[in-house]
Amino acid sequence: MNKVFTIAKREFKAAVMTKAFLVSIIVMPLMMGGSLLIQYVFRDSKSLEKKTFVVIDRTPGSVIFPKLKKAVEERNKKDITNSKTGKQIDPEFELKNLVPSENTPEAILKQRYELAEQVRERKIYGYIDIGSKILEVSASELQKSAPKDIMSIGSPTQEKHKAEAAKAPDELLIRYYSNSPTYQDFFVWVWQAATKAVQQYRAGKVQLTETSLEHLLLPTFVANKNLPKINKLTGEIEDGKDVNFLISFIVPFGIVIIMFMVIMVGATPLMQGVVEEKMQRISEVLLASAQPFQLMLGKLLGGVAVSLLLGSVYVIGALYAAWQYGFSEYFTPMVVFWFLLYLALAVLMFGSLFIAVGAACTDIKETQSLLMPVMLLATFPMFFLTKVIQEPDGAIARGLSFFPFATPSIMVARLAIPPGASVWDPIIGVIIVLVTTLFCVWVASRIFRVGLLMQGKGASFAEIVKWVWKG
Amino acid sequence: MPSEAAVVIDQVTKRFNAHVAVDNLSLTVPTGSIYGFIGPNGSGKTTTMRMIMRIIAPDSGHLKVLGVESFEAANDRVSYLPEERGLYRQMKVRDQLRFFAEMKSKKVTADEINTWLERMGLAEWGGKKVQTLSKGMAQKVQFIGTVINKPDLVLLDEPFSGLDPVNAVVLRDAVLDLKKNGSTVIFSTHDMSVAEKMCDAIFMIYQGKKVLDGTLESIQNEYGSDTIRVKGLHLNTTGVPGVSHVDDFGKYQELRLLAGADVKRILHHVSNTGTLSHFEIAKPSLQDIFMRIVGKDVLETEQVGA
Repeated sequence: MNKVFTIAKREFKAAVMTKAFLVSIIVMPLMMGGSLLIQYVFRDSKSLEKKTFVVIDRTPGSVIFPKLKKAVEERNKKDITNSKTGKQIDPEFELKNLVPSENTPEAILKQRYELAEQVRERKIYGYIDIGSKILEVSASELQKSAPKDIMSIGSPTQEKHKAEAAKAPDELLIRYYSNSPTYQDFFVWVWQAATKAVQQYRAGKVQLTETSLEHLLLPTFVANKNLPKINKLTGEIEDGKDVNFLISFIVPFGIVIIMFMVIMVGATPLMQGVVEEKMQRISEVLLASAQPFQLMLGKLLGGVAVSLLLGSVYVIGALYAAWQYGFSEYFTPMVVFWFLLYLALAVLMFGSLFIAVGAACTDIKETQSLLMPVMLLATFPMFFLTKVIQEPDGAIARGLSFFPFATPSIMVARLAIPPGASVWDPIIGVIIVLVTTLFCVWVASRIFRVGLLMQGKGASFAEIVKWVWKG
Repeated sequence: MPSEAAVVIDQVTKRFNAHVAVDNLSLTVPTGSIYGFIGPNGSGKTTTMRMIMRIIAPDSGHLKVLGVESFEAANDRVSYLPEERGLYRQMKVRDQLRFFAEMKSKKVTADEINTWLERMGLAEWGGKKVQTLSKGMAQKVQFIGTVINKPDLVLLDEPFSGLDPVNAVVLRDAVLDLKKNGSTVIFSTHDMSVAEKMCDAIFMIYQGKKVLDGTLESIQNEYGSDTIRVKGLHLNTTGVPGVSHVDDFGKYQELRLLAGADVKRILHHVSNTGTLSHFEIAKPSLQDIFMRIVGKDVLETEQVGA
């Protein structure tokens, strides 16, 4: 057993006492949080250049344009500055009226093309073409069949809305043309402003004032709350806090990514170590001193120690952040416990596979192709991450959390979303992972034993299977 | 038990798939001796050494190392020095030596390590990483790592290859010291003169079979005094009657005699071609014997030598 610790100690030092390890401690969260951070820092940094749009209002008497014009003036006055700092954060919009062309398809198309040329020459940013019949109620069969409820259709960026728009004939549509398909601010704004304008027009038809229309359309509000609980210090019942959607998404997401990276930091040096030992003929010296299984166990323990060290660094950081920013509900001691336990098991499981890959290859380049299936096993749980976070107790999340190679990350992610998985799930998960780990270690030790002394060329997949089969 | 042999190999065979690496080999290495393993590349030396180290198990036969027959546990009393490499390049010399000692279940003090480093002329390199060392220095570090746990049996694979003459002497003295301290040393070498000078006994393996085993003297006696060494100016040694083969070393030439050759006639013949300054009836060198076994004239040698 002493030899196992001697090897573990060496592996640990070899992995930790390097610049790469220190760098990875800092770089990993940066890589992860980097894009979020950049988006946060630059969230207000939009181009503030005034954007000009042309409006072709084909409604009888062009009644929509004046209302849009009024709305845009109000917007430019009120809605484009940060209410706290008073700094402008959105560009001004300018609307220009254009007399509609003759109502023939050719003339309409020609007019649209002329405007398109202006967009291409950057004289204007875009233009809208308001259909002639959008004011009418029940103008067509389509309007009758379409959902009456504006809420259920959603904004023009949503799929349901797009599907309805695709069915509608020209005269029932507001068409927005631009050369900047990803800029959505304007057409969402136009949709809101035009809808309001059309509603006001229709209200006028039934002798409703604008004020009473606004009263009619007044929305209700819903707040998303966590469950009330008893404050352990005062013994009083406290109402649940507001759900922080961002945090409730980021915490499980972060846990899975961090776990993946920490596993890699623990397991990769093991593979590199084995390849080095083979290349430098160290494995012969080691095998003359210890049994293959002792060697492998030592290496695995070293890898686990590396991962737990790194994992603890992040856990402490996360606990501090959770305490500082008040999201400790998502980061309970229970979650920390399972995180570290599953992390240790995952490093044993993946570490043994990495060691097997190293033993079957004669240099680092060769490891790449054999590593592919192992990496796939390690990364595929992340493809399901969003689904798991949305429905932590759904069939996909539960099923996935019992697939051994996904269990460590997915189970901890499920636990991190209140109310968390049932008590038994993580325990059953541990058993499944433990059995798989033992199997992986067994398979790896058989590959390790034969592979260590093999020089010259790497083993084919068929050969590796034979080693495992026959030993 | 000092009286017991360090290594007893008894009818051991080892196959790798269809290839027979070691074929029904028997060999006894007495305790306290220096035993030289020679043989061409791929003849089974390393396989034999690995079996002695218990890295691989024989398919059949018995193998006793330091009196114990076991193919399971690695032995802390046996140490191994691989050819050329065998060190972690990123590790510091001192850490590396401590690691190797601990792998043999031995705690070494800083003093012990320093003594060894000084003896090998590496005192200033203890804190340096292995990758900064020259090949010769790394070889010496490797040697320290092999013997620092004071093993009873040491296996050295090509310990002197790639060393300059000064370092070769340092290492040779260290090997001889091991013997003085009672260790048994087995080393493989391609340098026949080293084997001749240092080894108490020599073992040669060829195509998995033992072809030579014994002291240098006994091996040479087996081949008889069938060699004549001549030196001189403008000598012509081609077509000498009774001579089967000539090796020209430049400064001197070696003539191998056919059975029953007339030495006087040869002397007469050679001295007539130029100025003869040296004429010696000698036993064949180990190099010569090696070449006879491995070289293309293997059949002819068997007829003459037998």
